Amino acid sequence: MLNKSSSSQGSGYPLPEYPFNLPPELSGGAKRRYAVVVVGGGLAGLAAACDLSVRGVDVVLLDEDNTIGVRGLASRGITYAQKSLEIFDRLGIYDRVKAKGVEWSHGKTLADRDVVYSFDLATNRVSKQPPFINIQQFYIEWFLVDRIYELGGADLRWNNKVIGVEQLKDCVRLQVETPAGNYAIEADWVLDASGVYSPIREAFKLDTHPARGQDRWCISDIRFKLDAPLERWTWVEAPFNENRAVWQLPMGDGVWRLDYQMDANADPDAVSTEAVVRSRLRQQLGEDREFELVWVGPYAYRTQMLDKMRHGRVFFLGDAAHVMSPFGGRGGNSGIQDAENLAWKLALVLNRNAPESLLDSYSAERHPAAVHNIKTTSRTTRFLSPESAAERILRNAVISLAREHAFARPLVNTGRMSTAFSYTDSPLTTHGGAAVQNVPLILADGKPGTLLDLFQGETRFLGLWFSGTGLTAKEAKTIAALQSAEPLLRVVVYSPAGSGTEQLADHGGKLRIALAVNGDCFCLIRPDLHLAAQLAKPTLAAIRTALRRVLAVTQRQ
Amino acid sequence: MKLDANIADPDGFYEALIKAHEGLSADDSAALNARLVFLLANQIGDQAILEQCVAAARKPFARAR
Repeated sequence: MLNKSSSSQGSGYPLPEYPFNLPPELSGGAKRRYAVVVVGGGLAGLAAACDLSVRGVDVVLLDEDNTIGVRGLASRGITYAQKSLEIFDRLGIYDRVKAKGVEWSHGKTLADRDVVYSFDLATNRVSKQPPFINIQQFYIEWFLVDRIYELGGADLRWNNKVIGVEQLKDCVRLQVETPAGNYAIEADWVLDASGVYSPIREAFKLDTHPARGQDRWCISDIRFKLDAPLERWTWVEAPFNENRAVWQLPMGDGVWRLDYQMDANADPDAVSTEAVVRSRLRQQLGEDREFELVWVGPYAYRTQMLDKMRHGRVFFLGDAAHVMSPFGGRGGNSGIQDAENLAWKLALVLNRNAPESLLDSYSAERHPAAVHNIKTTSRTTRFLSPESAAERILRNAVISLAREHAFARPLVNTGRMSTAFSYTDSPLTTHGGAAVQNVPLILADGKPGTLLDLFQGETRFLGLWFSGTGLTAKEAKTIAALQSAEPLLRVVVYSPAGSGTEQLADHGGKLRIALAVNGDCFCLIRPDLHLAAQLAKPTLAAIRTALRRVLAVTQRQ
Repeated sequence: MKLDANIADPDGFYEALIKAHEGLSADDSAALNARLVFLLANQIGDQAILEQCVAAARKPFARAR
């Protein structure tokens, strides 16, 4: 994540500015209680507002300024992983992301000119979406804002800054500051996505166990022609950066992101001045190459994490809940997954399709994901910034062995790329928990589509019934009983034999690969494409039990 | 983790090890040992055994902090 800093150089892009509209609370409108107020218009907040809008839940979003991005035009989170791209597809912004960004799957770690580690994340991929697209974070936020306006329903309030919060018995009251005066707003549920310095979290005095890293980096967004493949390249010890680490990644608009590890004692502002950055680039690129500085700034790492991602009627998403070092793109991607996880649950609860206890599973599922991400990124930090002479000896032994032998290459750790967290231990999971890829399919009407299309835009569950020989009469009866008893479940049969129930063609067996299914079974898939249950011997009772479990319905209810 | 004798030629292994360190500076010897640790670890592979070995090596220094 980025630490705030006043220092930035370089030429920018024009960003959109959104209008301040007088809120109804300040224009004599009738006082009303809102179902959901989202605080913060960054990745997590906008993803949540967009996801709720797609699910037909009207939200109010409060943002403290009138544009997207922070610190001007910093590229910030630039790496969007397959799971986020699948979410963007569902939200309706994927085509714009794909058109503007750079797809990639290969990563290389170099020592001088030798490749000491490489990976190809396209292996075993069966989704419509690629493993990664790199694109400046403000573009994602921009596309989300456009999409939210297009969907209608949401009330985006720019220049509305939260300055106070109070938990009342059955709602949350926020104090909001605007250019036209202050007002109070009440909501059943508040989604706090206001970032690392969340005023709401601080008002509740919730401990985040903060730790600051020693590491200092200089981010440089550079526009130039680079004859390098569109891949993620990292150096642990770059000769053109005094044997410290360097990152090189492509992104949208022909801009490259070059991150330079700084000496731990360096003055962060001094190493990010334009003259210093230009001279460093000359060392890497040679004397003749033309380039344009788009944005330059320093950053330092920190980690922090709440013990619980819910406090009463307030949910914490993204950096407001957890902050990690940036390796592998885990910060932004996990914030987007936080938003997705909460949105379908809120939609079901607000429409009285599930009990409020379903909302308890948000922290139960996303907190372990944050723990996992922080552990993973902290290991990378330790590899890149050894904390003792002994650690440095071990690290350098790995690099020297990796130049010679394949066995040592997996030990080289310049970041483990973000993957979807598996909710294996979730209270909602009967058997499974992994994210299911957005597999391309031929739909029942013969048209091409993907797994997401089977939800038909509804917040409900998908039951995939795999049958190698065709349904028996008893199985057909079970499905008919489910369809009439469980309006939240849509059952689709996958059987080459065919039997009159809704059929699905899966050319190449990608669906079976995505679900790791060989024989006959029933798979219960959640609205966020995570597997809730895989039943080898599906019965009406077993399926209904799994469905009650994923809805957090207790037996008494 | 094996703790009974398993090295086929103990004297021969010890000799090979000290010969490998001959003529090296303390820094280079430390680097050699580190390389050796990773090479040997890869022969074992099993995470539980590796962690038991790390803990056993750390044992005399357990209180040092």
